[in-house]
Amino acid sequence: MPSITIENLTFSYPDCSSPALYEVNLTIEAGEFIVITGATGAGKSTLLRCINGVIPHFQPGTLQGNVWLDRATPSGRVPVARVSAPQLARFIGSVFDDPEGQIVSPIVEEEIAFGLENTGVDPAQMDDRIAKALADCGISHLRHRATSSLSGGQKQRVAIAAVLALAPKILVLDEPTSELDPDGTEAVLKVLFELNKNHGITIIIAEQKVTLLAPLCDRLVLLEKGRIALQGPPRKVFMHPYIFAKLGVELPAPARLAHALVQAGVLPPLDSPDAPPIPLTVEEAFTLSRQLL
Amino acid sequence: MPAKLTGRPLIEVRQLKHIYRSGGEALKGIALTIDAGEMIAVVGRNGAGKTTLTKHFNGLLRPTTGTVLLDGQDTAKLPVAQLARTVGYVFQNPDHQIFHERLFDEIAFGPRNLGLRGDELTTRVDSALKAVDLTDYRDRDPGELSRGQRKRAALASVLAMETAVIILDEPTSGQDYQESEQIMAILQELNRRGHTIIFITHDMELVQEHACRVLLIDDGKLVIDSPPRELFRQEQALTSAGLRLPPTAELEQRLAAFGIHSDAGTVEALAASIARRSSQITARDSFKENCSGGAAACQ
Ligand SMILES: Nc1ncnc2c1ncn2[C@@H]1O[C@H](COP(=O)(O)OP(=O)(O)OP(=O)(O)O)[C@@H](O)[C@H]1O
Ligand SMILES: Nc1ncnc2c1ncn2[C@@H]1O[C@H](COP(=O)(O)OP(=O)(O)O)[C@@H](O)[C@H]1O
Ligand SMILES: [Mg+2]
Ligand SMILES: [Mg+2]
Repeated sequence: MPSITIENLTFSYPDCSSPALYEVNLTIEAGEFIVITGATGAGKSTLLRCINGVIPHFQPGTLQGNVWLDRATPSGRVPVARVSAPQLARFIGSVFDDPEGQIVSPIVEEEIAFGLENTGVDPAQMDDRIAKALADCGISHLRHRATSSLSGGQKQRVAIAAVLALAPKILVLDEPTSELDPDGTEAVLKVLFELNKNHGITIIIAEQKVTLLAPLCDRLVLLEKGRIALQGPPRKVFMHPYIFAKLGVELPAPARLAHALVQAGVLPPLDSPDAPPIPLTVEEAFTLSRQLL
Repeated sequence: MPAKLTGRPLIEVRQLKHIYRSGGEALKGIALTIDAGEMIAVVGRNGAGKTTLTKHFNGLLRPTTGTVLLDGQDTAKLPVAQLARTVGYVFQNPDHQIFHERLFDEIAFGPRNLGLRGDELTTRVDSALKAVDLTDYRDRDPGELSRGQRKRAALASVLAMETAVIILDEPTSGQDYQESEQIMAILQELNRRGHTIIFITHDMELVQEHACRVLLIDDGKLVIDSPPRELFRQEQALTSAGLRLPPTAELEQRLAAFGIHSDAGTVEALAASIARRSSQITARDSFKENCSGGAAACQ
């Protein structure tokens, strides 16, 4: 299964004075669950486009450096730019930030089948794959509906289901829960987590709100104006509230509570040896608070 | 332009049903009234009927049965152009409302239809662009903007109309934290100046911080109509409608059993309360109370 190595990646869109990504270096192991965050315009979508091959295959611009897919071929690593788009589509599935624009079929079921047919899935398996993807996204009841008649969140669920059905080795998702209700967000993230844990699928997801993702991911990458400002496991990254504030990214409430407890004088500084780990979930924040009472 | 003080509700919805030709019954009989000057959040699961409901407030959709009155007048009998002068609508998908090739023209479209020309028009457009931080893109093609920026462009085009009522379908989706805060600050300021604001959102923290009243829609029906704090006390109803408590509210509720209270609804207030409680327990000096902020808009 391929890992991804990004080396000194600089990318500029045509007619743009400053690059959207600047000398980015990042290695993503096979089976990792990575969250990319940062303010709008920080370069999240651009980075994802460089990974899934939209850049340079479809989006013009100036690209320096390399994005390598390791062990994608028997001959070792190859740059994304030299793998054809259809071949990339065989193992990288992408959900774009404009779900409506991604949907091409008039009927929900056909939208899910479309990708499966294109990747040569055995027709005998198709029905099961479609049913499972729809169920995973909570839209089994929409199977025969016209895609144009769906609500915004329903469309986003269809776009995600269509990609999940393909069972790609790498999943690249650009703000996939922006219009999902809290229930749907939880359901989709749970599916991603299970794909990652049980099937070793690499997950790369860009999100503004990292609260729900923090307990699920291995690593958070914070982008600032096209550069990596901070990265690491969530508990490490959340030690730096000032960087979050500076970058305009919201620190999740459980972590904020820990910092506020330090301020209030009931917890030692979080980087001291006797400090508890930063809570990632409401459950952990609750337990921590309980211990102080 | 604050609405007239007529004593009657600004928007009155009576037994509203809406049936889409290809989607079945999206609204199954909704009744509610909205007064001038309110700031209301509309919440509910995907497909609940939020967009369908609010599109009736400015005639983008017409009732299958039932009526929607705007300032006492039946919207079914009012021309769309007249409705558009009173009720502005920011679409969930910005691409459904952006048509021009230059951002300035996009924003100027509505005010021009209102008869504005020359300096007055330019000032109106430029201040709307400034409010949403898109001044630098004034002469660019909206098609080149990111989705989040296009959404703010759509907001600007409605702001430039200065309508008495502004409806926003998921105004902060695709926006980062600072932009969301900025958008909500604009809406609160408009609300303070007398505009009625109705926003749809899935972000319960936004509801907690910015709405005075929340409408919970599920399966085409109005299930709960209450202040946010009351909604958050009904966790069962909330989860069965596909929603969740915001994390701070959930923490607050779980800690309430241990004597922890945070009326401000912030983690800072929670931490202060925990500190006070823990110092009481250890019989030390109590910490100074330090609650501020929160749902200030609802005094
Ligand atoms: N143009 C349409 N034609 C047919 N059915 C529609 C149409 N638009 C919406 N519907 C259906 O009506 C119901 C309510 O849709 P609506 O768009 O109002 O939901 P919503 O609450 O705004 O959801 P979301 O959170 O996903 O935006 C859904 O079942 C949807 O599929
Ligand atoms: N298609 C495009 N054409 C020109 N510039 C773009 C395009 N997409 C993004 N940009 C610019 O590249 C930078 C990074 O944007 P993007 O990757 O979309 O950030 P994010 O996803 O973090 O919001 C921004 O300055 C943005 O304006
Ligand atoms: Mg993006
Ligand atoms: Mg909607």
